Amino acid sequence: MTSNSFLSEERSPIFSRSNLTYFLYKLVNRPHLILGAICLFVLSFLVLTPLLEIIRDSLSIQSYDIAYLPDAKIGEFSLFHFERVFTGPLSKALLINPLLNSIAIGICVTLIGVSIGTVFAWLIVRTNIRFKGFFGALAVVPYMMPSWVLALAWLSLFKNDRIGGAEGMFTYFFGIQPPNWISYGFFPIVICLSLHYYAYGYLLMSGALASVDSELEDAGAICGMNRRQRMWRITVPLLLPALGSAIVLTFIRILGTFGTPALLGLPVRFYTFSTQIYASLNASNNGDAYVLALVLIVTAITCIWINNRVLGVRKSFVTLTGKGFRSREIDLGTWRWIATIGVGLFLSATVFLPLVILLWESLIIVPGEYSLSNITLEYWIGDGSIDVVYGEPGVFQSDNILSSLWNSIRLGLSAAVFNGIIGLLVGYAVVRGRGTHLSKWLEGIAFAPYIFPSIAFGAIYIGMFSTSWGPVPALYGTFTILVLITIVKNLPFTSRTGIAAMLQIDNSIEETARVQGIGWFKRMVRIVIPLSFSGLVSGMLLTFITAMRELSLIILLISPSNMVLTGLLFNYNEQDMAQHAGAVTLLLTFIIISGSIIARMISGGFGLSALKNS
Amino acid sequence: MKKNDFSSLSRFLAVFVSLAFFGFSLAIAASPPPEMDSWLKQAKLGPYDTTQENWEEIVKKATEEGEVVVYSSSGRIQSLVKQFSKVYPGIKLTVHDLGSTKSVEKTKREQAAGIYNADVVTTGNSGQVIHEMLNKNLLVNYVPHHFKDRIPEAYREPLLVRVNEAVVFFYNSEKYPGSAPVTNIWEFTEPKFKGVVGMKDPMSSGSTLMAVMTLIQYPDEMAAAYKRYKGEDIKLSAGVPDAGYEFWARMLKNDLVIFKSGSKLAAASGKKGQNKPLIGFTNMTYIARNESKGFVNAIVKDLDPVSKLLYPTFTAIARQAPHPNAAKVFTAFSLGSPGLNKNSKLSKPYTKGESLDLLLGLAPYFDEGTRSPRNDVPSPMGGEIWDEMKAWDVDADFMWKEGAKIRDFWIQHSSM
Repeated sequence: MTSNSFLSEERSPIFSRSNLTYFLYKLVNRPHLILGAICLFVLSFLVLTPLLEIIRDSLSIQSYDIAYLPDAKIGEFSLFHFERVFTGPLSKALLINPLLNSIAIGICVTLIGVSIGTVFAWLIVRTNIRFKGFFGALAVVPYMMPSWVLALAWLSLFKNDRIGGAEGMFTYFFGIQPPNWISYGFFPIVICLSLHYYAYGYLLMSGALASVDSELEDAGAICGMNRRQRMWRITVPLLLPALGSAIVLTFIRILGTFGTPALLGLPVRFYTFSTQIYASLNASNNGDAYVLALVLIVTAITCIWINNRVLGVRKSFVTLTGKGFRSREIDLGTWRWIATIGVGLFLSATVFLPLVILLWESLIIVPGEYSLSNITLEYWIGDGSIDVVYGEPGVFQSDNILSSLWNSIRLGLSAAVFNGIIGLLVGYAVVRGRGTHLSKWLEGIAFAPYIFPSIAFGAIYIGMFSTSWGPVPALYGTFTILVLITIVKNLPFTSRTGIAAMLQIDNSIEETARVQGIGWFKRMVRIVIPLSFSGLVSGMLLTFITAMRELSLIILLISPSNMVLTGLLFNYNEQDMAQHAGAVTLLLTFIIISGSIIARMISGGFGLSALKNS
Repeated sequence: MKKNDFSSLSRFLAVFVSLAFFGFSLAIAASPPPEMDSWLKQAKLGPYDTTQENWEEIVKKATEEGEVVVYSSSGRIQSLVKQFSKVYPGIKLTVHDLGSTKSVEKTKREQAAGIYNADVVTTGNSGQVIHEMLNKNLLVNYVPHHFKDRIPEAYREPLLVRVNEAVVFFYNSEKYPGSAPVTNIWEFTEPKFKGVVGMKDPMSSGSTLMAVMTLIQYPDEMAAAYKRYKGEDIKLSAGVPDAGYEFWARMLKNDLVIFKSGSKLAAASGKKGQNKPLIGFTNMTYIARNESKGFVNAIVKDLDPVSKLLYPTFTAIARQAPHPNAAKVFTAFSLGSPGLNKNSKLSKPYTKGESLDLLLGLAPYFDEGTRSPRNDVPSPMGGEIWDEMKAWDVDADFMWKEGAKIRDFWIQHSSM
């Protein structure tokens, strides 16, 4: 039905019998049209309706507003929220200060994170630094942990007496109270986020660096360029598009991040855009929250637009050709060991140190007392009967934790599977339909969720699915809504991997099969899926990791009935149960890492090799 | 992301927007017809709660229902699950510990979506609970008949109070031995206490918000206390309407430390061996942590103009509750056993043995900082302090009318 209406819109047919027969014939032979239309329809519903919904809500009177405007009618058009946020006396507190804070954090973190990521990518991909494989694997570990794990570790290390209670490790061991600016607010937020997001920059840049052909640099050398010229006139321009997207994508993600600023900002009343949205929604002042969310979305779109304007033209360097390709390692000489030690130290500080701190936190009886005699396993295996743990059973005994763990795993797996399938279908429809409007629209809409900062996206979904929406029932408080939002939010990545995987499969392979009369479904199962399998698995793995460690996206949507580990972790931290928080974090990290190892093994074992065997 | 993706996306958006707005204009302003009445009739609640209650029959029906789902602002109800199943085998108690804001939020959202999941909602924040929930038929007031004459009318109309609690100032008795560091509330606004007073974020803690509002509700008394302290009339800051607001403006200016968690705040003021413990503006009930966690918190008992800011935690049956009889049974359970009276012998720990059998749902709340609405419940050990402290409470109507203004004031002044 959808495909028909789509076709009638697209080609404006005359409904004669021969025309209809022709269209049916065409449809059967172009399944990507049907697929594309269905995908477009569903995705529009999931991505655009929420956006329209918050635009509408931000422009009309909400029930909370009656407290301000007793005479207004709920639902009637009003600029009340926009006036409040942009011009009212609250503007500074609601909009300006948090926005400036968020932008300052975004710029600093992007600069630091992308720089570190790029240097690492260059060292690991292009030089003869030692332990490449090990470093490469370690460098992505911070990305697998929830971004605010570092914030938790930071608090354990550097908390001072401003928030009283148990001492931080630094104070315990050195007897000095760190100043406030080290313990809370802008500085630690920037450091913690940078140490998380450099991994993101590393991932993006190492991919780009790996595809730069050393022969291009050699060609430069032959033409008489010196090292610096080759660097600035060949390598850097080739990397600029990737660098541009790394910067923009990192920046947007940081604007929407919630956990770290919430943990480290509150004690000094340092508010960011995301914490302000959270606070407004908490006070059920949806109007404010939605206007703020729209501001974030507009900021994100502007960043992408600028990026496309500035770097867009240069985007089409073809670096992957069918011809010879070499990637030569640069000899670092005496710098080799210095670089190795430097990278090694940095990675241990960002990967192992937080985990060790949290492990320690999970073992101590009296918080703030870091001596060896103060160690117990009660928080891991205890049944909660002794007084040490205030009646809360240890990690492996607590139904609460185990059921949240199960929910997290279910969420990760189901999001990964759905995302894999949708990514594949979107990729297929986009690539096979190249050149049509449908293909372009689909590609655009699949990328659109990226521009919604996580916290804003959660805000939209909580509003949208609180009531039933046509045939879609109210999903508030259900597990389904977590899966749904995770799928949609990850779509930009999985559809990218789907498109990339599909681009590698030449249409002629499928055409050969078609000539032999093999149907579409069989072609998908026997040809397309096996050929794109390893790409698919990496897309699914990414979804699994993101889904397991996500907080900003779902913090507004979780409730006890659909609690996941990250939410529980946040609660434990709020309730001052540092031991449980540490233990659950370690558990979560362990599962994510083992999950990704298993996924790597699977994608190595099947895919192309499986095809060869059959 | 290619450049032309965006231009074609925007074209698509334009089409979609026009279609969707058409759809929206049709969808606005449709509300479901209330099936509440037949449910009330069936459950003998509200206007149908007239005849003499047959408690045995209610328990029998409740056992048939087999379950009761509670949305609670307090986590301590969780610890009652075992005792509840001991007293009422066959009824499974499921507690959702949501905190005050989320209890209200979740109930509202679910009911708006036509989901009737909760049986009992027990939470604070009078303005919202009375005006947004009770008055809008999201909740039904229910008082077990056998408790009616043991609870003063103020605590059961318009809504039954499960427990009365209070927000007070805590100080560290190790750091300030002997007596409290202040006698007048305005001393906390002095440089001496800069960055020393901590409180929960009133934007996310209902009880703290109520306490903030209580002081604002008594501007004249606050101004008089200032005059007693300084010997001169208070000068209001620009844009601040009265002495109640002025107090909070000055507190925020004096680098008030904001917490998300009451537990952390109790530790911040009460943990032993601190050089610079905080003063905690917090729930009096945390004084019980002195025993369970070895804290050294003490309560500022004599503070001018007031030392105790009361807040009730209500309990009510949720609209169209799927297990209305089990909800009645739980309501009675949470008020303590009928056998409990002034002469009952209770001993610590109250959450075990015979004391628990008498106190039932009151057991985890039986401390110096909490009071049952019943007039026949004995005072817990050390509970005299409750009666000795001067108390103010806040009016639900005032909260409702002034709430938005106070929140805005807070947002504006807490921004640094």
